[in-house]
Amino acid sequence: MKLNIEGLLVYFPYDYIYPEQYSYMLELKRTLDAKGHGVLEMPSGTGKTISLLSLIVAYQRAFPLEVTKLIYCSRTVPEIEKVVEELRKLMEFYSKETGETNNFLALALSSRKNLCIHPEILHANIVVYSYHYLLDPKIADLVSKELAKKSVVVFDEAHNIDNVCIDSMSVNITRRTLDRCQNNVDTLQNTIQKIKETDAAKLREEYRRLVDGLKEASVARETDIYLSNPVLPDEILQEAVPGTIRTAEHFVGFLRRFLEYLKSRLRVQHVVQESTPQFLKDIFDKVCIDRKPLRFCAERLQSLLRTLEIADIADFSAVTLISNFATLVSTYSQGFTIIIEPFEDRTPTIANPVLHFSCMDPSIAIKPVFQRFQSVVITSGTLSPLDIYPRILDFRPVTMASFTMTLARTCLCPLIVGRGNDQVALSSKFETREDFAVIRNYGNLLLEMSAVVPDGIVAFFTSYVYMENIVASWYEQGILENIQRNKLIFIETQDAAETSMALEKYQEACENGRGAILLSVARGKVSEGIDFVHHFGRAVIMFGVPYVYTQSRILKARLEYLRDQFQIRENDFLTFDAMRHAAQCVGRAIRGKTDYGLMIFADKRYARADKRGKLPRWIQEHITDGSLNLTVDETVQLSKHFLRQMAQPFRQEDQLGLSLLTLEQLQSEEMLKKITQIAHQT
Amino acid sequence: MASLSEEVLLVVKKVRQRKQDGTLYLMAERIAWGPEGKDRFTVSHLYADIRCQKISPDGKSKIQLQLVLHTGESTTFHFANESSALKDRDAAKELLQQLLPKFKKKANKELEEKNRMLQEDPVLFQLYKDLVVSQVISAEEFWANRLGGINNTDPGLCDNKQEVGISGAFLADIRPQTDGCNGLRYNLTADIIESIFRTYPAVKQKYSENVPHNLTEKEFWTRFFQSHYFHRDRINTGTQDIFSECAKQDDKGLKSMVSQGVKNPLVDLLSNPDVTVKDSSNSAIIKRFNHHSAMVLAAGSLDQASETSSTDGNSRDSDFFQPPVKKVRLQEAIEYEDLQRENGPKTVALNLKKADRYAHGPVPLQSQQYTTSQDIINSVNYIQHEMANYKPNLTQVLSSTSASSAIAALSPGGVLMQAGAQQAINQMVPPEVQGELKHLYAAAGELLRHFWACFPVNTPFLEEKVMKMKSNLERFQMTKLRPFQDKIQRQYLSTNLTGHLEEMLQTAYSKFHIWQTRRMMRKT
Repeated sequence: MKLNIEGLLVYFPYDYIYPEQYSYMLELKRTLDAKGHGVLEMPSGTGKTISLLSLIVAYQRAFPLEVTKLIYCSRTVPEIEKVVEELRKLMEFYSKETGETNNFLALALSSRKNLCIHPEILHANIVVYSYHYLLDPKIADLVSKELAKKSVVVFDEAHNIDNVCIDSMSVNITRRTLDRCQNNVDTLQNTIQKIKETDAAKLREEYRRLVDGLKEASVARETDIYLSNPVLPDEILQEAVPGTIRTAEHFVGFLRRFLEYLKSRLRVQHVVQESTPQFLKDIFDKVCIDRKPLRFCAERLQSLLRTLEIADIADFSAVTLISNFATLVSTYSQGFTIIIEPFEDRTPTIANPVLHFSCMDPSIAIKPVFQRFQSVVITSGTLSPLDIYPRILDFRPVTMASFTMTLARTCLCPLIVGRGNDQVALSSKFETREDFAVIRNYGNLLLEMSAVVPDGIVAFFTSYVYMENIVASWYEQGILENIQRNKLIFIETQDAAETSMALEKYQEACENGRGAILLSVARGKVSEGIDFVHHFGRAVIMFGVPYVYTQSRILKARLEYLRDQFQIRENDFLTFDAMRHAAQCVGRAIRGKTDYGLMIFADKRYARADKRGKLPRWIQEHITDGSLNLTVDETVQLSKHFLRQMAQPFRQEDQLGLSLLTLEQLQSEEMLKKITQIAHQT
Repeated sequence: MASLSEEVLLVVKKVRQRKQDGTLYLMAERIAWGPEGKDRFTVSHLYADIRCQKISPDGKSKIQLQLVLHTGESTTFHFANESSALKDRDAAKELLQQLLPKFKKKANKELEEKNRMLQEDPVLFQLYKDLVVSQVISAEEFWANRLGGINNTDPGLCDNKQEVGISGAFLADIRPQTDGCNGLRYNLTADIIESIFRTYPAVKQKYSENVPHNLTEKEFWTRFFQSHYFHRDRINTGTQDIFSECAKQDDKGLKSMVSQGVKNPLVDLLSNPDVTVKDSSNSAIIKRFNHHSAMVLAAGSLDQASETSSTDGNSRDSDFFQPPVKKVRLQEAIEYEDLQRENGPKTVALNLKKADRYAHGPVPLQSQQYTTSQDIINSVNYIQHEMANYKPNLTQVLSSTSASSAIAALSPGGVLMQAGAQQAINQMVPPEVQGELKHLYAAAGELLRHFWACFPVNTPFLEEKVMKMKSNLERFQMTKLRPFQDKIQRQYLSTNLTGHLEEMLQTAYSKFHIWQTRRMMRKT
């Protein structure tokens, strides 16, 4: 159908439309009009991607000078492939409706295998790739540097974007890294030696090019041609390369010294935590390395690698990592912390020193993106509470909206199980984690559900260790055996290939009618990347509240930083983080309006307002007072009732006019009024 | 009855049956018992007829073995050899244990099939009642050529039998019971053993390697339940555990399953970066569950495996070409069915079980030609008009004699009207007699069919059969036909009703006599 979104002609490749899709496009258009950033939350399965693509493509066609490019970032390869498929569908619709051949160029970068190095990327109208291509400074520099300012950037499934930002800026250094780095440096030295004997002029040329290169970058940044690299701070561009690392041999010698210093730091017996200025002072005191040459380290190494014409940069990943670390540590006095741990907490007898150079401020990595591009849209099915993202990513959105899912029938059923049948409070909190009664009641819940839910059940645990312990305990108590009478059991493991196989078998078992249970982990690969549509997930059970492992020093440092810099209380952040993961997990079951599923929160803490209130609106509004503190038996009764209702035939006519609109229905005055209420502004 | 070709698997002497001493024979297809000093069997059961065997508890003074048949009858053998009674009984029991399951399936399938046929076909059921229940012919004879025919004409029905899957919890069903003195007892049935074998081929291999050369069956299973392999969470203690290899093989199997990769790209987690693998103490249990479930799933769909692999085995090797499976999956994943206009109602493929019934089924009502009252009045008027104007053509008429003979022939009872008498049976005879007559016809037809099928009589078996069939026919005449004839006579109905039946029987008898006299002549 052809839509009129506030005067913009939008081709939408379907015969019907959901009201919230219309509303979503409306908000999106306002964001683009204002040339600002937006945060939009819309439930998965309501056709978010196609709404986004339809509107932005229409916008590009209508205002080719205002928006030149759409940069669509998603997380995983399958997600990227899905976006491309939707885009293909849209393009087919365009050429069918307009009769023109498609002159749009879209490009997808999924992995190194399909990496496109053709300059076409600069001319493509739409680029679809992974977050890392934009956020990870090492990759962004290669791929995204030259993208035009007048681009619209979309981060889909962005509920974890802060963690991606932090990971892309953090560096972990182990003994192994240092050893490999040592080898790299030796190789560099040998290569330099060889070149010196054969072609000394090349090295002199190199030096000249290095200075030029930095000048070029400086010009580019002033004239706004490039996306800035957070690793390459502005100051470097104006200053000359310090004499200590000016020649290749000096630089290699410098690297050796730095390496030796790091090795000595790893020879610790106790945990050390220090700020970047402290680290710089220490390195100056111990080995007389100044801050200035450190800052040039990354750039200097890139230049050297170019000069030596080294083809396989992957071999030099260790030395690249170390030089990036050198530059970062000397550039940012805030937002980073250095933690050196001599061993892992769980294995205090095995020496395994790690130097964590940990970024605590996600805004550092994403800052260039917000600065450079005129519109950045952050969207996901679960972004609640909306206001926290602008705070931790440090930007000012022009629109923030959360959309509900209009439903002709209530196809999701969130239930909070707080007690076992024996009135034992169910919770995964630390104090009762090992409690036999809780584990037994959890097992009982799963057993009872396995008897009433058809086809697939997915259960999530708060962590892998927790799952292992519970599985072992259930095994001993014979609970798993009883569950096997009803369904087959598959379990996520830490091995990706094994889990893939388990997943496929799980789907096979759902498909052939035997029914299966998948035991999985929140924050794991399954919880983030796999959808359980229709019979693949008729119920999701979330055992416990998936708090992050709070004893980690890195997390503690980050919490402290959030408190000091953003005035976000530790508990607020932890709850926010736990609830977004819980919402991700339970949201896996509902992938559309024809789908249906139970969402079972098995922890009494979910009933509290501070937890419940952080769930996405589209889940929250279906939690009634009657479903707050259920026993296992009550849950089973409610589930049976719900499933029986959902099993009735559900046809398109049932939805029409309520949660599904024809063009005529959409244009009615009354409906337009209703639609404005769907978007919940914050 | 005992044909020499039968292979005798076990002979046990001094076995009593109904307080008579005798010898028990276990043969390839049946179990038989004959009293001492006589060379014939008074008891003989096909294995297929046996539902189960029961043995007397260990402590009892009489050592017995009871066979329960599908018909509900049972036969008890008492092993009376003082020195080796227990050993004898166990030998017989174990052999039966191995033999019975082989026949069980066949028997069950046949029984089911017979049951189904009888239920679906009331005429056949009546025939069965008339012939088998009243012991005119034996059940075996009754089914002899019926089942074969069914299997041949309708092969799809039997070949497409669904393979029965395995319960996911079959291991849980093996509940150990304490035997009172610090021991555990596991009850294994043939089904459970089969489940174990199908799910864990490695165990089956061990079984065939070790039983019965190295271990008895009992020892094998005892070791199985003691093994680390069965209790995956226990620490491996015994070094001579024969199942330690199985665990390794399972691991290998799991690895190969994993290395095969997944066909659905949407569940392929390998495409995501950062893989961290850490092993932990409980990972064995988790692996075991994944393996177990996968094997159970695979065992349930063995025959489908080839099918799916052929459809999915498309061009996985080429990197440049997007595999169709992937494309389809992606398209499925992005599809919003409710946003699209439904393109026509979804149809279900028609699966005809009885195509001929479909073809010759009720015919739709044809639009009938109705005549209006006006038409009728018109035609009456027309006929009246014709009759009024009728002028006989007297030169062309028949002579009066031939005319009257024609009228006689066409009157009821006349030469040309004999068929009319047949029709009258409907009115002449009460419905219950009609029904009875029908049954008689059906039964006689069945018997005659058997009888005539024996000709030409060229084997001893057929000879025997033809003799038997003849006596069957005679018995039928005596026990069924005669009473019926008496009955209709009492009711003063025409005895002519059974004339045709008698005629058919007589024809058969005369055929039999001719054959018999010829045979006698040949013999003399």
